[in-house]
Amino acid sequence: MPFVKQQQSETIGQDERKRVRDCASLELQLSDQNPTARRWAARDLASCPESSAALVEQLQQESDSSVREIILTTLTQLGDELAVASLVDLLRSEDVALRNEAIEAMKLLPDEVAPIMGNLLKDPDPDVRISAVNILESLRHPHVETWLKEVIEQDAHVNVCATAVDLLGEVGTVYSREALENLKIRFSNEPYISFATDLALKRIRLA
Amino acid sequence: MKRILIVDDAATVRLYHRMILEEAGYQVVEAINGIEAMEKSLQESFDLYIVDINMPKQDGYGFLSDLRGRDLPQAPALMISTEAAANDRKRAYIAGANLYLVKPVKPTELLTHCRLLLGEAHA
Repeated sequence: MPFVKQQQSETIGQDERKRVRDCASLELQLSDQNPTARRWAARDLASCPESSAALVEQLQQESDSSVREIILTTLTQLGDELAVASLVDLLRSEDVALRNEAIEAMKLLPDEVAPIMGNLLKDPDPDVRISAVNILESLRHPHVETWLKEVIEQDAHVNVCATAVDLLGEVGTVYSREALENLKIRFSNEPYISFATDLALKRIRLA
Repeated sequence: MKRILIVDDAATVRLYHRMILEEAGYQVVEAINGIEAMEKSLQESFDLYIVDINMPKQDGYGFLSDLRGRDLPQAPALMISTEAAANDRKRAYIAGANLYLVKPVKPTELLTHCRLLLGEAHA
């Protein structure tokens, strides 16, 4: 039985893709009732450089997680200013899954995210700052350690610093040693910070 | 020996909680997200779940809702997150959490709440 279902699903997919594929039509198909049609439209819009606005609009109301995932992938491929700005907006979403998907997408855009990272790390909302630190986890950019060091030197929120320390345990070098030692003093009443800082310092010593 | 499943994507947090709990005599198993936690829950039983909210692949809300909806031996769940907003707390309880704490959690606080949820009233 699962085989029959798969065949039906594939047939629907092929039919939906036979529709008109110009950019304007694809944008209209983003709001099609059939999620398969929306998935194909979102995927094919990767070749339409002006489609970020339509993708973002659909993303904000899309309930199907597989369509959402493809919209985010396409936005990552487009990687323009609007796409990045919309990903930043998603960091403020109440939807945890969507927020995490945005974090994963932004990790793939080091050159586009780097210019805004300073502002993200100074956002008034500590949850956005934590998300920004999470983006740094696998953002392949030479400034990652500098950003993390600045966080533990300047951020007043214990959980933002804790997230940064966790990451410095993986990517930190002697460059961050003094900042880590100072952080331990600054949050001397927080056992977790002492634990995580000691662990990061030990890893740096062994590296 | 009581068995506790820690579900958190942060390795340092898992290690911190593991050390506290093992020192207090509990057996600890780890999972890095909701999907791995569910796989482990289907294979073995636990006396308590300690669950983070923000995790890739499946978050803590998703895992707990899924767990509570299944015909499995149920155990209390302590949700621990960086998020202090009242709405997050409410969502945690709706998903099936028995208690909600905001990170970072002090060792005595963690043990007190775990013992409470495990029915170790003398704690």
